[in-house]
Amino acid sequence: MTDVTLRERVLAANHAAAAELRERFAARGTLVVNLISSPGSGKTTLLEATVTRLAGRLRIGVVEGDIATERDADRLRRLGVPAEQILTGGACHLEARQVRDALARPGFDDLDLLFVENVGNLICPTSYDLGEAFKVVLLSVAEGEDKPLKYPAIFSRAEVTVVSKLDLLPHVDFRLDVVREQVRTLRPDGTQLELSARTGEGLDAWIALLERRCAAARERAAAPR
Amino acid sequence: MRAVHELGLATEILRSCRAHLGDPPGRLTRVRLAVGELSAVEPELLRSAWHALIEGSAHAGAALEIEWRRARQVCGRCGEAPERSPGAWWPRCPRCGGSLAIEGGQELDLLELSYEPRAAREEVTP
Repeated sequence: MTDVTLRERVLAANHAAAAELRERFAARGTLVVNLISSPGSGKTTLLEATVTRLAGRLRIGVVEGDIATERDADRLRRLGVPAEQILTGGACHLEARQVRDALARPGFDDLDLLFVENVGNLICPTSYDLGEAFKVVLLSVAEGEDKPLKYPAIFSRAEVTVVSKLDLLPHVDFRLDVVREQVRTLRPDGTQLELSARTGEGLDAWIALLERRCAAARERAAAPR
Repeated sequence: MRAVHELGLATEILRSCRAHLGDPPGRLTRVRLAVGELSAVEPELLRSAWHALIEGSAHAGAALEIEWRRARQVCGRCGEAPERSPGAWWPRCPRCGGSLAIEGGQELDLLELSYEPRAAREEVTP
């Protein structure tokens, strides 16, 4: 019997592809956001509102991950942004090389902001680095207030937590202060936002955060190395 | 099975192991991994995915040993890491009320493997 000591990550290949993407984005000054949530939390609706608000101010592209259908990419294309749909054919998450291949399509070369909308799932996408600047996790008020503690992996890794569908708050048992406390416990240095993409409530803070981070990414790319 | 990412992880583990089985490649008998509680991996699902993957292959029956790594909550004020009950988190340091930062628990690493080497002469064809 031969024993071998190993020093490698299980997802070493994905991490290498992600690191390559991150370097490319950094050189171009593109801010990349990996958007994660369970299905139906309003990721695409938030993107539609975001793209509409930032039209003419930032060059935005979207990579959509879904098991099936081009619906999400179609919704974004209608707003005039380059959108590429990755169909995972049953897989529950996106991997870095899929994002890399999607970005080889025309329209993604010169962007300020790239959103990667992951497959709707609070578990599997957690482990896969896509070369993003940060992860954003969405939690709609209709999903229940216990979700951060039930899915601590994603809530501890996402730098930004967005509580979405705030307009539904009067109709559900969802205590914002309970959720804020859970998220703060899991991600003490994270940013928490609460908004409704439908009414526009709270959207200003989200837009401001994106603009601030895009400006920082641009400055870093312009700075001499 | 495709809707869980554990099968994808098992495939990655096997791929990585294959690079370390000698030449000619031996038979894998055991792999040891570190899996953190914040890695989003379910050890039992990973184990069943692993055995489904290697069934019928040269490595069938190779054990997947999982070292479960818990996350620690460390107090920024007093430096203590209070004991946690499984799955529970302290909102504040129980000792001094300071805020806690999470350390570790994200591991998903290959630690060690064992294999039965195959003698080179078995490969030689006349």
